Amino acid sequence: MRKIILSVIIIFIIAGTGYWYYAFVYMKNNHRNVANEKAISISANDLLKAYQSNEIKANIDYLNKAVTVNGIVQETMVNQEGKTAVLLKTTDAFAGVFCTLINTDTSIVVNSTVNIKGICIGFSGDVKIKDASLIK
Amino acid sequence: MKRIILIGFFLVTVLAGTAQKIWSTRTGQVKFFSKTPGEDIEAVNNEVDSKIAQANGQMVFNILIKGFRFPNALMQEHFNENYMESAKFPRAEFKGFIINNTSINYTKNGTYNATAEGNITIHGVTKKVSIPGTIEVKDGKITSKSVFKVKLKEYQIKGSAIGDTVAPEIEITVNCKYQ
Repeated sequence: MRKIILSVIIIFIIAGTGYWYYAFVYMKNNHRNVANEKAISISANDLLKAYQSNEIKANIDYLNKAVTVNGIVQETMVNQEGKTAVLLKTTDAFAGVFCTLINTDTSIVVNSTVNIKGICIGFSGDVKIKDASLIK
Repeated sequence: MKRIILIGFFLVTVLAGTAQKIWSTRTGQVKFFSKTPGEDIEAVNNEVDSKIAQANGQMVFNILIKGFRFPNALMQEHFNENYMESAKFPRAEFKGFIINNTSINYTKNGTYNATAEGNITIHGVTKKVSIPGTIEVKDGKITSKSVFKVKLKEYQIKGSAIGDTVAPEIEITVNCKYQ
């Protein structure tokens, strides 16, 4: 009987420590790494059109998914956290695909054609991509 | 005479031009902060869309929920799935006006109090709000700043840790630099 109680306590301690480690140590250092994921390839124009024509459907198809967007750089900027952000051109003069890079990348040239891989986070006038990086 | 008309015309065009100035940003920053004795939780969004029309103080903010970044990936997951349900409600927004817009001199450096009134939508729930903040004018650029609180209950945000490790009232900090 004592053995059983003891083993139950030990199991609880191990499970508890395991959960604590998973939740507060492992997950702190293991953000989703989109670079290793298989991505949907799409042009900036098609992605914007998909959102402009039917946002609900586009969210089902692309929200929270890994995407590789092909397009021409309209503008690059540095956000308030010092990360590079890139706006990809579309045929719509007022909207584009806005990608925030996971790191600072000063090599991106306006008017060059690029492939940018990241996570699609939805539509707010532009389609937005986060945790992005340049694919060579 | 012709010259005077020309100068007059030029002046009117310039004035009309400044009056119609729309300030905008795609890289605005919004943070939120939850403080409980057990845990402090903070998340940042650096891709906030915002516009302010200088002429009438009209302002709009668009925030994608999945753009909030937490230090802890598991918290980020819980935030999206259990609290904000960001697959169902991907966006939060504010649409309104700075009601004291005439007291802001957009051409003179300074920090001006600004009260924004309008509708805020979070988690699919829209509420009429009045939010105090400031507009900072510095060397031809402006920054909107505000700190205000949001009661999760009012926006029907439910989650098992609210009242425990998640505060029932969350502090929102807005800091958007416009071009």
